[in-house]
Amino acid sequence: MLQGVKRIGPYEWEVPVGYVPDMRVPGRFFLSDRLAETLEPGAVQQLANVATMPGILKNSLAMPDIHWGYGFPIGGVAAFGMEEGVISPGGVGFDINCGVRILTTPLTAADLVRKRELIETLFSAVPTGVGAKSTLRLDQKELLGMLKGGSKWAVEHGFGIDEDFLHCEEQGSMEGADPEAVSQKARQRGMPQSGTLGAGNHFLEVQLVKEVYDSAAARAYGISEGQICVMIHCGSRGLGHQVCTDHLRLLEGATRKYGISLPDRQLACAPLTSPEGKAYFGAMASSANYAWANRQVIMHMTREVFARMYSIAYEDMHLVYDVAHNVAKFEEHTVDGRRMRVCIHRKGATRAFGPGSPDLPQAYRKVGQPVIIPGSMGTPSYLLHGTAVAMERTFGSTCHGAGRVMSRTKAKKQISGHDIKEALGKEGILVRAHHNGAIADEAPEVYKPSEEVVRVVHEAGISRLVARFAPLGVIKG
Amino acid sequence: MKNPVPVAMSFEELEHTADVRLRVKAGSLESLFSEAARALMVVMYGSAEPGPMRRSIEVQAADLISLIHAFLSEVLYISEVEEMVVSGAEIRLSEGRLEGELTGEPFSPARHRSGMEVKGISLSDLAVSRDNHTYILEVIFDV
Repeated sequence: MLQGVKRIGPYEWEVPVGYVPDMRVPGRFFLSDRLAETLEPGAVQQLANVATMPGILKNSLAMPDIHWGYGFPIGGVAAFGMEEGVISPGGVGFDINCGVRILTTPLTAADLVRKRELIETLFSAVPTGVGAKSTLRLDQKELLGMLKGGSKWAVEHGFGIDEDFLHCEEQGSMEGADPEAVSQKARQRGMPQSGTLGAGNHFLEVQLVKEVYDSAAARAYGISEGQICVMIHCGSRGLGHQVCTDHLRLLEGATRKYGISLPDRQLACAPLTSPEGKAYFGAMASSANYAWANRQVIMHMTREVFARMYSIAYEDMHLVYDVAHNVAKFEEHTVDGRRMRVCIHRKGATRAFGPGSPDLPQAYRKVGQPVIIPGSMGTPSYLLHGTAVAMERTFGSTCHGAGRVMSRTKAKKQISGHDIKEALGKEGILVRAHHNGAIADEAPEVYKPSEEVVRVVHEAGISRLVARFAPLGVIKG
Repeated sequence: MKNPVPVAMSFEELEHTADVRLRVKAGSLESLFSEAARALMVVMYGSAEPGPMRRSIEVQAADLISLIHAFLSEVLYISEVEEMVVSGAEIRLSEGRLEGELTGEPFSPARHRSGMEVKGISLSDLAVSRDNHTYILEVIFDV
């Protein structure tokens, strides 16, 4: 382990105040010995940098998929007090509400005939890749509806059924969205991209429920062994990227204006009570809603393909849950024994509310919130549930995915997209992308092993395993 | 006075686990901006060849780092909404201000699909330095 970092539990480490100058609270992260071997000093430095921000509460946190990002580390979580605290785009990232959802089908592995045709049909139904254009023709008024209403807007416009938005974090529609704070530029980028998957690590994957670990929780979530499911991972596209860029510039000015000194310019921030902070929140919430609507539209396209190809009813495909990975939100938490409202930033982390949380749909309240952890291409994905431990230790947060270990430069040199595609094909996993480079770049070897990341959060108790999903076919940008 | 030896514009990719980190070199600040724009496009589209498209550009910022951040963010925006693959820029720089013209070719799905989607230009570790006659930019693109 890096010098100066202290072990405080089998899976928990502390970065003491003083690791970088001006830290206000210690940093804490969760990691196994095996994952510690690939921990980057840059990621720990970023975790410590976050601890210097005004109004930070308790700890600057990172989940076991921690890695070197910009501003916050990926896997970073931090909560700020409403009066002294700040909000920062560096704690959310460019892809606001990049997130993931899982859809069940009534099909089993044996029913999934014509798999190649299914993957090809999904690939033509869902626009993917750089420069992909939406099949929706939105006007300004409809875009506004999307920014305000999120998943709810999409369902009202025929892209789903009522239960869908109830099965999303924040019911798929964040309060406080202020489309006025979303620039014309951002709207211009968002209009032609609604309902597109994007590129990079975004994907749509057909999966098989391979193993159930917690049958009571699985039953509550409507999951059973041998079932076919679909996982959708994407975000707020160019609209969210532009919102981050625009507000980063505005908040750089605000950082100077409010006399805040920071070790990294990407952490540019403003007090939550300031006009600049409020404007960023309003624009970010609008982008989060855009992303929820986006995933809803893509799920609608998916349901239509399955309904047509396998003669199953649209309504028999259920959304288990949808979670955000990159977001800042107002939530109630207990800090030093006191119940308080905080502004929580999760950057490459997932909300993991425990049993009894009023935000959850009635059917899930006893078990806790579904937590969806996508694996990298060709590796298993996991469904977990949130816990009381997460509420106590991590502001109700857990990991979001596997986390990269190999750079893109190395991946390009060492891995051939063509070979990966063939190797996965031999295991019965079909991969469809616009070019092989996109496959090499997201190959299983470039990520930490998802099973180890998930084992750590399970053992540390910040979420508990429910089921494992094996990939059958994937479409990528 | 002898003219300085011209420095060829170039860029290379440096190690970064999650994102794309580049080092761009050029013989003047103006050509550094131009090469950085081309580098961004090569990352996004796989190639960026000169073409018939022209587009004016203007940005302002408080300091050089913010200016290059604003410029690259603007190039990213223009490229996406105007479907333009920028191959270079003729620019003039004065006190916190940049004006000029981008050149490039129209986006073609057949030729420009081998890159990566860039989500934004990071301010983390964004740096410009000078070594004799060479200007050097280090920048991270979130992909």
